[in-house]
Amino acid sequence: MEFAQERAGDVLIVRMSGRLDSSTAQPAEDSFSRALGEGPPRLAVDLSNLEYISSAGLRVLLVIAKKVQQAKGKVVLFGLVPNVREVFSISGFDQIFSIEADAAAAVAAVR
Amino acid sequence: MLGFVEEIVLLQLDDRHGSFVDLPQSATDVVIAGGALMELALANRVDADLERLIVVNADPTGDDILDDALARLTASGDALTSAGAVALVALDAGKFQEKALKRLVAKGVLRQTDGRWLWVFHTRRYPVLDDREQREVKTRLRQVLLTDEIPDPRDVVLICLIDACGLLGLILRPEEIARTASRVDKLARLELIGQAVTRAVAEVRFIVKHSAPPIY
Repeated sequence: MEFAQERAGDVLIVRMSGRLDSSTAQPAEDSFSRALGEGPPRLAVDLSNLEYISSAGLRVLLVIAKKVQQAKGKVVLFGLVPNVREVFSISGFDQIFSIEADAAAAVAAVR
Repeated sequence: MLGFVEEIVLLQLDDRHGSFVDLPQSATDVVIAGGALMELALANRVDADLERLIVVNADPTGDDILDDALARLTASGDALTSAGAVALVALDAGKFQEKALKRLVAKGVLRQTDGRWLWVFHTRRYPVLDDREQREVKTRLRQVLLTDEIPDPRDVVLICLIDACGLLGLILRPEEIARTASRVDKLARLELIGQAVTRAVAEVRFIVKHSAPPIY
């Protein structure tokens, strides 16, 4: 799994690609935790190149969502491919996360 | 911290009398199996998606309940769905329940008492000695269920298992159960293995409810 980040003003855009499963969950969680830094995070997570997510991957996102909530920040996901969107829908993760179609909408939503 | 199997065995005990609450044995077996599988998932030994559950690391965890469950999964050698894995591990659930009870007695959480019913039949009960950890868990789960707080993965599993057993009344008042029904459903769905447990328990309940009464 690849994990990249860039700034768009006060918003941190995180781009994840590849597979988020038991073999990549811990490095992903560590990368997220480092990226959150100080202060209330404003996070837009690009999943347009995330090909696969398992139960372990969903758990990472839940942990990150909890950390962001505790820090009184905001997190929005965008660009979910159909099979990842299906997992979100069946697991109910689409009720936990705000999901937008693209980066512009996600950045606007976390501001 | 107690493991999920210990937690769910403890929750199924009536606090005052130390006897098990009324739940079909096969439903109890499913919930215990689900607890073991979700503990293995959090220990990074198994992973699941919408179609299958796989062993990703067969190394022992050092917990004999989890390691027996892991060995059962590994030995099957078959591609399993989450529902199939729950059914497979449920074959050992009675043994896991006994082990969990022994651990809880050893930890000073429960006391084992033996007696007789109608002066003939041997009975065994497990009154609770120390409920501090249980009270902490219940307080934390109440907070998660009664607010918009995002749960951590362990809380999701416990909510799923407690809901599957029909034991929400242990942590919520009746009016709160009605008010939080949709939130409980939402949180219990978050764990894919948990969804298989919920469905399996619902099937057992359906079968029990619609079984013909015995003819004497």
